[in-house]
Amino acid sequence: MACQAAGEEPPRPCCNGYSELPSAEVRRALAQYRPEKRSREAAAEGGELPALEDAYLSILEGLGENPARQGLRLTPRRAAKAMQFLTKGYQETIEDILNDAVFDEDHDEMVIVKDIDMFSLCEHHLVPFFGKVHIGYLPIKKVVGLSKLARIVEIFSRRLQVQERLTRQIALAITEALKPAGVAVIIEASHMCMVMRGVQKMNSRTITSTMLGVLREDPKTREEFLTLIKN
Amino acid sequence: METGKLGALREQLPPRTVSCNGYAPEEKPPPPPPAPSRPLEKPRYSQGTSSQCLDSWKEERTRSEEDNEMNLPSLAAAYTTILRSLGEDPERQGLLRTPWRAATAMQFFTKGYQETISDVLNDAIFDEDHDEMVIVKDIDMFSLCEHHLVPFVGKVHIGYLPNKQVLGLSKLARIVEIYSRRLQVQERLTKQIAVAITEALRPTGVGVVIEATHMCMVMRGVQKMNSKTVTSTMLGVFREDAKTREEFLTLIRS
Repeated sequence: MACQAAGEEPPRPCCNGYSELPSAEVRRALAQYRPEKRSREAAAEGGELPALEDAYLSILEGLGENPARQGLRLTPRRAAKAMQFLTKGYQETIEDILNDAVFDEDHDEMVIVKDIDMFSLCEHHLVPFFGKVHIGYLPIKKVVGLSKLARIVEIFSRRLQVQERLTRQIALAITEALKPAGVAVIIEASHMCMVMRGVQKMNSRTITSTMLGVLREDPKTREEFLTLIKN
Repeated sequence: METGKLGALREQLPPRTVSCNGYAPEEKPPPPPPAPSRPLEKPRYSQGTSSQCLDSWKEERTRSEEDNEMNLPSLAAAYTTILRSLGEDPERQGLLRTPWRAATAMQFFTKGYQETISDVLNDAIFDEDHDEMVIVKDIDMFSLCEHHLVPFVGKVHIGYLPNKQVLGLSKLARIVEIYSRRLQVQERLTKQIAVAITEALRPTGVGVVIEATHMCMVMRGVQKMNSKTVTSTMLGVFREDAKTREEFLTLIRS
């Protein structure tokens, strides 16, 4: 591994598995998933709501409804605000929420937060998918406030997403913040685009996972995580 | 600040009316807002007789397949605007075809506007000498909240006491589909299903119970994950006779 070749003392148990990935590359990988800078400027201008409302009005007309009837009069505004709420993750960054909640603890056993409810929007059909996120990590001297794991889920899920990317983004964000020995993220979700339309399979669930560091390399550690999230 | 055609439309609003699916049949539709190169459309809104909510049987279609094709580009353009306004990049690979997919998906979610009860039921009413309760329960239902355009999903339980005429069982599920694939309010959806069955069969009584989860309450707003909304419509002997109603409610619970 690169860090051993450089003669450094690797932290226990190993170099996190990231030694082949210099941190600049991790940053570049994350950067392509960060439209929040652009949308923060747009939100700061504050002028997007009328455009959204007009768009929803033309959608109502295009669907053959009567936008002037009582139930639909304010729907363009409500739908626009709802959509802005459902994509509010674009306006938030990891640094905002994590800066104060990383603590030095001499704890090197697995920490798991499971059954975190997650609601996101499929970027292909703009239809919700929702499910549960299970996160586990092996800290090296640094732990994170537990609710911050749920907040990381919120930031990345309140966007137009693909479940695979969402899983990976959560795992990379925890990695970057804590540099733990290993991180695992599993998401089990139901996609309304498959349930309400298309193939219409009511009970189907999609499961994705990202294992990094020792949770990827050591099968026994991974097995411990998978067993603990099952009970 | 200029709000475009939304502001112009709000100035032309007709007075408040109450009716089934939101509009009184005898009322003229408001003049359409100025739109570029839109062909003159035929009257699109249901105009029935004076009995408002009981006209689902004679309901006019408000949309056709040709309308769908004609409106798809403007729907897709609206979704492109939405993507841009949310701060996303509509040119990135994952979003390139999203406006079209989302527009087609939305047309599918509102395909109930293209269908009428008479299309679906004409052949499936049979004369049977059966006067015991018929129940079809746990019919999966997916609809769109008309206030936020966010899905609500749940189960529909239907029971009726036939009066010499029974209905093909899948037709009950098709009635649910026609009315749920629209912009809906759960209370109205329940009533429309019950009224449609009443008009088709003239049974002794009809009971419809819908239990649904509203994403607009779960994903946003109050964010109550486990909340369920239950609405019911009881007509005829289901409303008047408590024991019949109790039998229905017990059978759908087991």
